Amino acid sequence: MNDTELMNLWSALEPSGRQRARIETRVFDWLEASETSIAAEWLGLVKVEPLTALTYASVGVVSLILLTPVGWIVGWLVP
Amino acid sequence: MIVTATMAALPSAARPFVWLLNALSVLFGGETQALEEDAVLKLVEQARAGDRAARQRLYRQHVQRVFRTVRGMLRSDAEAEDVTQDAMLTALTSLDRYSPRSGTRFAAWLTAIAVNTTRRRFRRRRPELTATGELPDVADPTGDIAADIDLTRQRAALLQALAELEPREREIVSLRYGSDLNASEIAAQLDMEAANVRKILERARVRLGERIEALGKSRGAAA
Repeated sequence: MNDTELMNLWSALEPSGRQRARIETRVFDWLEASETSIAAEWLGLVKVEPLTALTYASVGVVSLILLTPVGWIVGWLVP
Repeated sequence: MIVTATMAALPSAARPFVWLLNALSVLFGGETQALEEDAVLKLVEQARAGDRAARQRLYRQHVQRVFRTVRGMLRSDAEAEDVTQDAMLTALTSLDRYSPRSGTRFAAWLTAIAVNTTRRRFRRRRPELTATGELPDVADPTGDIAADIDLTRQRAALLQALAELEPREREIVSLRYGSDLNASEIAAQLDMEAANVRKILERARVRLGERIEALGKSRGAAA
C-alpha cells in the first residue's frame, strides 16, 4: 500500500454523524457555560415575570379577604 | 478533505454529485472543504476576537482530523470521542497561545494538543491497546449500504492492523495519515530525529499494508 492509499484508508476512522454531533454538543455547551457569568445565571433565575407575579398577588389578596372573616368566626366559636 | 483532494481526478459529470455530498456533509455537521492555511489563520484571528461563527467553523474544519488521528492511537471510539472533545476544548480556549510566526501550521499545533491529551489519558489508566474495530454507531447519512459495509470492513481491518503495531509506530502512522503531518512535523512533536521518523514510518507502512491485505483476503474468503 502506498502513502495515498493509506491516507484514503484513514478516512474509515472518521467519526459517524452521531459521534460528531455528540462531540460538538459537549464542546459548545461547555464553551457557552464557561462564557456565561454567574451574575447572569442568577439574574436569569430571579427574572421578573409580570403575569406570574400579578397572579400570585391577586390570589394572595383574595385569600386574605376571604379567609380573615372566616378566621374571626372560627375564633369566636372555638374558645 | 479526501473528497477535495480527489476532485481534480474526477470526470466533470461527477462533480455535481461531489458538491452535493459536500453540502450534505456540512449540513450534518462536517466540513469537507479543506481551507488554505491563510484562511485558517484568518478564522483563528476572528475567533480570538470573539467571533463565535468563526470559532465554530474552525472547530468543524478540524474535528474530524483530530478524531481520526487519536482513533488510530486509542482502543475505542468512546475514548477517541473524549480525547477529541478535550483537545478541541483546550485548543479553542487557548487560541491566544498559538503563534503562526513559529512556523507551525495550525493543524500541527492542534494535533500536538491532541497527542498530549491522549498521553495524559494513558498515564491515568494505561489501557491495553486491543483495537477490535467496533462498528460506528450510525451509518453515514450521505452513503449507500454497500459503501457502508465496505467502509466498516476497511475500518475493522485498519484497527486490527494498528493494534499489532508498537505504540510509537502507531503514533507516527496516526500523525502521518490521520493528520497529514510530514516527517519533520511529526519529529518536532515526538521529539525525535526526522530521519528516524521516516525510517519507522516506512517500516510501519509496509507492515500495515501487508497486514491489511492479509486481513482483507481472510475476511473475503470467510464471506
